[in-house]
Amino acid sequence: MALTLPPDVGVPLSWPSQPGNGLRRSRGLGRALRVLLALALALWFILPLVPLALWAFADRWSFPAVLPQAWGWDGVRTALAQGAVPAFGHSLLLGLLVSAFATPLGVLAARALAYHRVPFAPAVSVMLFAPLALPAFVAALGLNVVLLRLHVPAFAGVVLLLMVYALPYTSYTMRVAYGAHDLAIEEEARLLGASPWQLMWRVQLPLLAPALARAAFLAFLVGWSDYVITLLVGGGTIVTVPLLVAAAAAGTGNDATVALLSAAAVLPPLVLLLGLGRFGRRPNGGRP
Amino acid sequence: MAAPAVLVATFVVGGGMATSLAQSLGLFPLVGPPSLTVAAYAAQASELPAGIGLSLAIAAASTLVACLVGFTAALVIVQGRWCGKLVAALGTLTIPVPHIIGAASMSLLLADSGLLARLFNTGGGWPELVGGPWWIAVVAEYGWKESAFVALVVTGTLATRAVSYDETAALLGAGRLRRLRHVLIPLSMPALAVCATIVFVYSLGSYEVAWLLGRAYPEPLPVMALQLFNSATLTARPEAAAVAMVTTTLSFGAVAAAFAYLRRSTLWR
Repeated sequence: MALTLPPDVGVPLSWPSQPGNGLRRSRGLGRALRVLLALALALWFILPLVPLALWAFADRWSFPAVLPQAWGWDGVRTALAQGAVPAFGHSLLLGLLVSAFATPLGVLAARALAYHRVPFAPAVSVMLFAPLALPAFVAALGLNVVLLRLHVPAFAGVVLLLMVYALPYTSYTMRVAYGAHDLAIEEEARLLGASPWQLMWRVQLPLLAPALARAAFLAFLVGWSDYVITLLVGGGTIVTVPLLVAAAAAGTGNDATVALLSAAAVLPPLVLLLGLGRFGRRPNGGRP
Repeated sequence: MAAPAVLVATFVVGGGMATSLAQSLGLFPLVGPPSLTVAAYAAQASELPAGIGLSLAIAAASTLVACLVGFTAALVIVQGRWCGKLVAALGTLTIPVPHIIGAASMSLLLADSGLLARLFNTGGGWPELVGGPWWIAVVAEYGWKESAFVALVVTGTLATRAVSYDETAALLGAGRLRRLRHVLIPLSMPALAVCATIVFVYSLGSYEVAWLLGRAYPEPLPVMALQLFNSATLTARPEAAAVAMVTTTLSFGAVAAAFAYLRRSTLWR
């Protein structure tokens, strides 16, 4: 597994908060402690990202200095020279392909489990979650030989493995969405003469759009963040951003390059996540 | 309709395990005829206990940190208001960070020439956090990344029910600590247990963070397996597969134990 992602818990990737009333509000010393605790937690979450921002545009930052001594574009130049642009292309392609395969498969599996009689349904659910329990390096290490003997192209092999590691997220997200989905609306549309095609485009898709977007995003993230599967199954031929970062970070004196590549690797999914937050809150996209 | 997903999952999970097992037992040699043997396990027998212990310790420590910080963050977030929103926003920021990027940033933060060493100008007395004997940076990375994950999941469970229960308890005169003990902790326990399992299994079987931030010896199991896999010796491949099988056994054992616990307790509804 490339990373642990939040499974859908009803309102995922957006932080639900309820206003509540004054009953639980803290006062005096308790309130001060609570604010301190919140600030400490905020620091805990943001602190590891601070050196990335500082190092990314630091040309010179020798040891005891607390802040960079010279700002500039050296990091950018080195990163470009090391092939940051093709690596970005590979990462993007990998994320999109994993998302393109794992989302429909997850949708189909979730719909079958939610509405149809699936033979051995518990076993099917276990199988869909099994990738969470099997360390990614074991699958990559074992299947490497098989994929080589079957002459599966390296890129296809990487996509296949990552797709399976994205399935728990897509199928679970869609399973929850189908659980909240009202079949009566589909029946009503059919009663009013909607064709299966219209049913899909005009009823199912709009109702499930937020969940679909979440599932697709999580699957994209699996492809975008993976290191060990790309390394082992790709056999060094597919250089993605995580592989570049790892190579640079394992050496010494590349701090600016590492920071720049890392910051650049975090930005695209972050932009997607922010967009997803807006999309998910669209008033006509939610549950009926 | 579930068939395509199940088929690919079976191929990768079942196939990955079966081929690893076959390789570890000498049935898939690079050269020579296949023969059933446990030589690969025997060859690593002296290294395995240290690796197992280290991997379990790192996973346990990371899970503990992630659950404690994540649960605290969830409590602050559920309280709402501006400090909750701030913690929530910054926690969300860490969700799309890949682990290898998290590891690289931890190194820039915690290394002896990192940001913290510069801030607390200790004059060379900075503790060995990266690559040190206590694997602090590794645990810090897992704890940091996964605490946001735990916070997100626990917030999701708490937000739907906790506020009303919490208010009822407050109305009936329960103090802050009693509400925490009798309302908030029991309500978040199932989600927390599931999260802990996921975090434990992930940090047990993950390679890149321990590889980048760890020390050369002893090695946690994934690092050990990949070093063997990449080494030039012909006998090393089965040994790598043997280490992989040991990791898999531990991982599935942890999941089975968690399920047994969840089933036995009345938490699972």
